[in-house]
Formats: sequence, C-alpha cells, structure tokens
Amino acid sequence: MTGPEPGERRGGARSTALAVVLVLQALAAAFFAGDAVADITLAGLDLHVAMEAVIALALAAGVVFGAREMRRMVEQADRSEAALMAARGALGELIEARFAHWGLTPAEASVALMALKGFDVAAIAGLRGAALGTVRAQLAHVYAKAGVASRAELLAVFIDDLLEGPVDGPAAGGDELPAAREG
Amino acid sequence: MSETGSGGGADRPWDPIVRLTHWGIAVAVLLNGLVTEDGGQVHVWIGYAALALLALRLVWGVVGTRRARFTAFPPSLSAAREHLGELVGLRYRDYPSHNPLGSLMAYALWGLLAVVTLTGIGMAGSPFDERPAFVQAEGQLDRDDDEREEENEVLEEIHEVAANLMLVLAALHVGGVALESSLAGRNLVRPMLGTRRGGGR
Repeated sequence: MTGPEPGERRGGARSTALAVVLVLQALAAAFFAGDAVADITLAGLDLHVAMEAVIALALAAGVVFGAREMRRMVEQADRSEAALMAARGALGELIEARFAHWGLTPAEASVALMALKGFDVAAIAGLRGAALGTVRAQLAHVYAKAGVASRAELLAVFIDDLLEGPVDGPAAGGDELPAAREG
Repeated sequence: MSETGSGGGADRPWDPIVRLTHWGIAVAVLLNGLVTEDGGQVHVWIGYAALALLALRLVWGVVGTRRARFTAFPPSLSAAREHLGELVGLRYRDYPSHNPLGSLMAYALWGLLAVVTLTGIGMAGSPFDERPAFVQAEGQLDRDDDEREEENEVLEEIHEVAANLMLVLAALHVGGVALESSLAGRNLVRPMLGTRRGGGR
C-alpha cells in the first residue's frame, strides 16, 4: 500500500510525457506566433511570414487537439483507479464483515487475512513473531469458525461472494458454465 | 492499510498539464521578476515562454480534465467571502478543485500575467530579434520617434506595475497555501508536485 501500482505509474508517465510534448508545442507556437506578428507589423506580409503564421496556427491547433486527447487519457486513468479503489475497498469490507460474522478474535482475523494474502504458516509466524504451532492452531480455529477445511476453501468463500455479487442478470447457480456470455 | 478517508479531491494530485504550467509559470515569473535583466534577450524569451504556458493553461481550462476546467472553479465573490470566514475561524474545508479564494487568485494571476507578457511583447517585438523591435524599427517607420517612445513608456509603466502586483499576489498565494496546509494538517503543495501521500498509514 505504498506508492502507486506499476500500471498506474506507467499511465502517469505516459500522460506526463504527453503533457511535456504539449508544453513544448505551446512554447514553439508562441515563439512562432510572436515572430510572425512582429514581422507582419514591421515588414508586412510576405510568403515567409505567412508560412510562419501557418506553422504557428498548426502548432496551436495541435496543442488543442493534443489537450483533448490528454484529457481523455487522464480521465480514463482516474476512472480505472477509482474502480480499482472501489473494488479494493469493497473486498476489504467484505472480508471484515465475514470475519466479524464468524466471530474471529483479532489475532485470528489477522492470521486469516495473511493466509488470504498467500502467506504460509512459517511466514505468518515470522511476521507475527509467534510460534508455528500457535499460528497453526489459530488457522485451525479460523477454518472451523468459517466452516471450511482448507485455505483454498477459505479463499473460495470470498471469490464466491465476489462472483455472485451484484452481477447484472440472473446469477446462475453454477449449473451452467458461463462460457460464451457476451462475446 | 487504511487508505480510506482520502476520498476528498484535495488530496489527489493535479494532472500533469496543471502541474507543468503552474511550475513553469512560477519559475518564469520569479526569473523575470527578480533575476534576468529587464528587456534583455533572456527576459524576452522567458516572457514568451510564460505567455505560451498561460495560453496552454487557458486552453486546458476549456478542454482539460474536470478539475482543471474553469467550470470547476468559477470566480465567485460570495463563495470567496464564505471561504474567508472559514479561514478566519481557522476551519478547513475540502474543495474539489481550487478553493474559492484560490480560484480568485488564479484568475487574478492569469490576468496580470497576460497584461505583463502582452505589454512586454508590445515593447520587445519578435523573440528572434537581437535588438528590441522598436530600436530596429527606428527610421523604418514613418511614425514619430517621440510618439513611439511615449507609447513604450506607457507600456513600460503598465508592465512594471502589473509585474510587481503579480509578485505580491504570488507571495500572498504562497502564504495562502501555507495557511490552508496547516489548517488541513497536510501538505497541499504535494498534489501540485504530483506525488501522493507517502506510506499508507
């Protein structure tokens, strides 16, 4: 939970790079425009100056369109980040609610969460500074309270909740493979 | 692991265009206000760059991200008055975009920057001339030198007054951010730098 995710960072780097290009384009456009305007007021319009003005206009148009593209990119990144946060938050709440429902003690809840995150007994014991046997016993309690027999089943409880959750359409009871729904 | 409670807009980093234009303009204003030689070639180039950044920011204010668009922070005196009341009472409130006083500040600074850069360009002419345009143009124009000079004096006067006012407002802006940061209990410069609040806890 420290710092942005790799994907997020990549998106950020891409939009930053585009932003830098836009800034450079804007700078170039301003200098061209300034030069063109100065030349026109001093020497009148000739082909050279006209070309400069056209380049300035083209750059300015490029900036505007680039900016619109940029907006789309930034907002898309924001949206997916928000969705990710929501999903994360939802899963966290779900896990907490289940743990409370099963009546796990704080220690058991902590061990169970680590187990869900994929730590093995030895790692959990190391992280908690507890004996292997203690962690094993706590995990056994968790499984018993949750009514499951293994870590995989414990995990399956939450996967199940996620898949059966607020999915649109009738959530099939598993009697049918959701093979070719919506291409 | 608690990252909840950071839902407010004020904690999110600003988008890259807002950040680049903000810091670019800040550097340009400080350099031209305090460092570069008035009317020199470097001064003129930096002025053009500042105008370009301002133009980009204004375009971004129309087509940009929701938080960066003018519609997200319309200038409103009544909102600013309310906001001032909050500040006097040392209360902090999250706003989705610029806060009302910050919004007024942004428009004031942009307006002044436009005045400063345009009057500057009026005096200096093209960025590519070795000498300022009006010197080069002397003799070429059938206009009176006196008239030309007088016009430049007016421009210079406006240029300097607006530039100094801009520096004062910029200092006020920094003070405002510092005050809001201390009220909010977090560094409000960070979103403008583009970094997130470090470490989840």
